Amino acid sequence: MVTEEKRQEILGKLKNAVIQYDEDTAKETSKEALEIGVNANDAIFNGLVSGMEEVGRLFEAQEYFVPELLMCADALYAGLDILKPHVKQLDLGVKGSVVIGTVEGDVHDIGKNIVKMMFDVAGFTVYDLGRDVPLDKFVEEQLRTDSDLVCLSAMMTTTMVGMKKVIDNLKAKNPNVKIMIGGAPVSQDIAEKWGADGYAKDANNALKDAINMISSLKKLKEEAEAKKNS
Amino acid sequence: MTSRERVLKLFAGEKVDRLPCFSGMGNVTTEGLKKYGYKFAALHSNAKMMSDAAASTYRLFGFECGVVPFDLCVEAEALGCEINVYAHLEDILYPTIKKKLIHNEDEMDIVIPSDIANRGRVPLMKETIGVIKADIGNEVAIGTYVLGPFTLAGQIMELNDLLKLSFKKPDKVSKLLNTLADVIILVAKEYEKAGADYITVREMGATSDVLSPRVFKNLILPHLKKIFAELNVDSVLHICGKTNDIAAFMLESGAKAISVDQKNDIAETRKKIGKDALLFGNYDPYNILVAGTTEKVRETIRKCIDEGVSAVWPGCDIWPTVPPDNIKAMMDEVKNYRR
Repeated sequence: MVTEEKRQEILGKLKNAVIQYDEDTAKETSKEALEIGVNANDAIFNGLVSGMEEVGRLFEAQEYFVPELLMCADALYAGLDILKPHVKQLDLGVKGSVVIGTVEGDVHDIGKNIVKMMFDVAGFTVYDLGRDVPLDKFVEEQLRTDSDLVCLSAMMTTTMVGMKKVIDNLKAKNPNVKIMIGGAPVSQDIAEKWGADGYAKDANNALKDAINMISSLKKLKEEAEAKKNS
Repeated sequence: MTSRERVLKLFAGEKVDRLPCFSGMGNVTTEGLKKYGYKFAALHSNAKMMSDAAASTYRLFGFECGVVPFDLCVEAEALGCEINVYAHLEDILYPTIKKKLIHNEDEMDIVIPSDIANRGRVPLMKETIGVIKADIGNEVAIGTYVLGPFTLAGQIMELNDLLKLSFKKPDKVSKLLNTLADVIILVAKEYEKAGADYITVREMGATSDVLSPRVFKNLILPHLKKIFAELNVDSVLHICGKTNDIAAFMLESGAKAISVDQKNDIAETRKKIGKDALLFGNYDPYNILVAGTTEKVRETIRKCIDEGVSAVWPGCDIWPTVPPDNIKAMMDEVKNYRR
């Protein structure tokens, strides 16, 4: 059993590795965590994700910009790749699968990839359609996978309008599916007008929204554990 | 004063009777396409159609310019990238790059093809500028655009890699940007010869939503300076997204005017750059011009003017489905509103 002091040291190292975009340390520390018996979930959520939360704050404060964010994401993935196989399936009471992609005509996928990363972290099954995705493909993939959530991304005003069609088609085929839209030109107004269930307006907001989602999942998990222990 | 005189005098720093309402970016409308029975995807490869469509916004609504092309892929294509014009779709989609030129860090040392002026659609663009100039060039100024070096780099290689390398290996990126600046200068010179009155350099990849102002200053600005020093016609530097912290650098680039979008606080920028600097902007070409009511359009145009723009100009390409009443309301407001 690992001591609380050692656990804190490992979590701190993971957190800092993400913040300082240090892939090597993220890898080594993740291996060390497993070797000495730190729980993989613990290492992911209280180490790596906790680091990403701080990165989100730095991004918002304009100390970090997109290049730093991408490098931090690389460090997170470096750790996640090692830790994830050791995660026991979380029982969150939600199925947690998501179809994600950038709409046709748009080849920008950085915002989409950041959101995808947070879904990966949360243990969702992610069906990533990539970028420049024909609109019908979203509907097909949702029906094929019966996913709970569809995330549509567009970086440009000129491609954003394609989202409305996807939303209409998805809602017609499956009224229960939740749809989140994101990207620079999207607004709360548009999300409401087009019938999307959620929206994130830029990389920062996408990250924040995704983090909020993870935080609420963490809370659910803690509540479940508290119930089990009581 | 004709629209042409108004725009050219504005660039020259002379007095104008009122602010012009024009753009340096795409402004084709579905009304214009309807007038000629053209399909959007077909415009990009035909000089006559491109010119007709571009001129139609002036003909139908009095929008005070003629700007070609409509897509952002001309330079990348001339360098050897393959593009997708989405010819199979009825909907309007702008062409994108489907095959990149640089696939990894080791391929970044590119050599400029010696016949760059004759590659891809550069000759077509020259022809198109000539056609539209002959058509409406006596009435309005003819504009065209090129990409900025960083934005072009983001097209010919993975943006993800470019952004990370900008941080990890700035020297390597700077070298590529220097080469691309030369490409842009060569292409822009051809457009000048063809008769363009003003050229907009679109460097939206370097927005402060993505890159820090410090990186903009150190890595991007030197190459922009090189480009603007070589341009002989009137020039505009356009960057969308967050630009308040880089507006002064944008002006330092040597562009005659700077163009910003709706995220810029114009009043603040005006204070920073002084009363005489040319600042174009900054209405939202979708959420206001397409999705807003005519009253909202008028209110927004008045706000742009009150805050101190030098020309009423969109934050990006105008989305083609703009309702005719909205564009008419905009033109009317610019003509009749006095601060």
